[in-house]
Amino acid sequence: MKLLVVEDDRTVGQYVKRGLAEAGFHVDLVGDGAEGLRVASEGHYDVVVLDLRLPGLDGREVLRTLRDRGNTVPVLVLTAQDTVDFKVQALRMGADDYVTKPFALEELLARVEALGRRPKAITPPVLKVADLVLDTGAREVRRGNKAIELTPKEYAVLEYLMRHPGRVMPRTLITEYAWDYHFDPGTNIVDVVITRLRKKIDHGREPKLIHTVRGVGYVVKG
Amino acid sequence: MDTIQARLTTWFATAVAIILAGFTVAVYMSRRSALYQELDRRIESEADLTAGILAGVARAGGIVARNDAGGHPVLAQELGATLEAVPDFLVIMPAKDSVPLFASTESIALTYEKFQQLRQVIVAARGQRQEGTLTLTPDGPRLRYIVRPLGPEVSQGGAVLVAVRPERVELGLEQTLSTFLLILPFGVLAAYVIGSWIARRALAPVDQITNEVREITDGKSLHRRLPTAMVKDELGRLADTLNQMMDRLERSFSALRRFTADASHELKTPLTVLRAGVERAITTPRMPQESLASLEEALQEINRMTELVDTLLTLARADEGTAPLHCEPVDLRRLVEETRETGDLLAEDAGVTMKVEAPVEPVIVAVDASRIRQLVLNLLTNAVKYTPSGGRVTLWLERDDGRVKLGVSDTGIGIAPGDLPHVFDRFWRADTARTRTSERPGVGLGLAICKWIAEAHGGSIEVQSRPGRGTTFTVTLPATSAHPVVTKASS
Repeated sequence: MKLLVVEDDRTVGQYVKRGLAEAGFHVDLVGDGAEGLRVASEGHYDVVVLDLRLPGLDGREVLRTLRDRGNTVPVLVLTAQDTVDFKVQALRMGADDYVTKPFALEELLARVEALGRRPKAITPPVLKVADLVLDTGAREVRRGNKAIELTPKEYAVLEYLMRHPGRVMPRTLITEYAWDYHFDPGTNIVDVVITRLRKKIDHGREPKLIHTVRGVGYVVKG
Repeated sequence: MDTIQARLTTWFATAVAIILAGFTVAVYMSRRSALYQELDRRIESEADLTAGILAGVARAGGIVARNDAGGHPVLAQELGATLEAVPDFLVIMPAKDSVPLFASTESIALTYEKFQQLRQVIVAARGQRQEGTLTLTPDGPRLRYIVRPLGPEVSQGGAVLVAVRPERVELGLEQTLSTFLLILPFGVLAAYVIGSWIARRALAPVDQITNEVREITDGKSLHRRLPTAMVKDELGRLADTLNQMMDRLERSFSALRRFTADASHELKTPLTVLRAGVERAITTPRMPQESLASLEEALQEINRMTELVDTLLTLARADEGTAPLHCEPVDLRRLVEETRETGDLLAEDAGVTMKVEAPVEPVIVAVDASRIRQLVLNLLTNAVKYTPSGGRVTLWLERDDGRVKLGVSDTGIGIAPGDLPHVFDRFWRADTARTRTSERPGVGLGLAICKWIAEAHGGSIEVQSRPGRGTTFTVTLPATSAHPVVTKASS
């Protein structure tokens, strides 16, 4: 899949480019609006990642001009303005989605993938770690043969950990995933959820699947 | 009435009343003195005339007086008849006798006692010219009189007294006064009406300017200006000054708007870069655990920073009146249910029990759901933070007479009465009791944001607290916010 990133800040641009490239995309990076508009109009991209604030030709102008020319390439907008209002405006101008700075790379990837209409198979609907199974379609969790009832937040935390089996997930990222806005990070709320999950999943069973990495976060591995 | 118009009218009417009263007094005084002078002139000329006649007769060798049966001199009959024509009091006294030479009819009509008083005046003058006012006792009349000495040729230098009652003069003066007193209230009334009209006319443009300025500065039409008159009178200059002020206001507002947009960009781009680096490092395989812990801390700080920037920008835009809300019908009961689990988790972490009290039926209100959720979670976090383990936190929702009340009550440490007025202030924190040492304190914007959210929805937030007993935050929202506050976006 071929992507165009229009971002004037070089560090952010490089980071986005590298992150997307590592996920297997072909990425072109452009640093200003006029150039971005030219490249986007000529090249055949699957998704354009567009920063709204650009020197010279503004991101909004780029977007409007693209749409005026009948170009329907999916556009993902990067914005620093974290207001619903602004996002609505961006969508009205013809953007397909937006990500607010500072964003998690994972979120950007997920949205780019969604816009690029990749086959859903890339994220398997059923996650497995040892004998723990999480069916994202049916929102069901079982360990061995036993179905496990989870509350919404417990489910979200477990799903996030199981999407990255064997990888240590920092508390902050878990909080962000399970609570859709920047929830007060001063609380130990993730630890409480993990304690509950342990009771439901690991209690009285071997091997233990949920592991603590002190000072960092948690990892699910078999 | 506390308006300049009323004050001007009152001042004007008072001034007219004072002027009219002063005028009345002046007219009365001058009229009075003129009339008395005239009176004095009259009696003086009568006295002179009498003296003249008597002297003339004496010089011509005629008989002025002859002795009566008792040996007292009496004025000759012909002269007496002439002097009878004088309508006032007229008494002639000889120098060497106590019986008057002549007394006019009117004088004779007086009682003996009163007549003696007249005679006494002549005697007291001792041959000198004298004039004045005297009141005969008992009970009048008051008289204006003159005593004039006669020449030596008439009864060895006697004297003549002429006196008159000034009643007619007084009557005329009274009439003048009553005429003026009658005019005065009408004059004041007319002054009041005219003054009020003038003041209204003069001040009408001020009212108009006030209304227009109010319309312009409501936050949405700051580009408008007052119409400027061609004539540069006081009001024209006022309008110009106000227009200049609004120019500056508009400039500073747009500067703030630019600043908030710039600030979000300038602050968040480096945060994005930071976050990118940290996230990348965290996902690097085989990263030592100590490094991971530092990175997690860094990530946490970045998030905290992001949150702070967002909050500050939201408050800045709220001050400016452009922080947007997106209201749509939301079932608050469901929203409360959604936050229940988070509340439970927070409570469990702090060893506190959490309870939810909500009505059975849906409570549908047009609100910005994400803002209200933020409000509820802020209040819950706060309540749990300040409730010692074993305590209870209650999240409640109720309908109340056209309004919806949403609140969080706790059995926590409470807030000192002196601190209550400040809890919604930005960056405010009680110095001691409310900050647990083990916990990193927040930045003190949570409740400020809550207040903004409640007020932006057309509602309010209140706090009640008793130290040691607990605290209740109550948010009141209008239940029928068919027209919620949706402010214009600026980007």
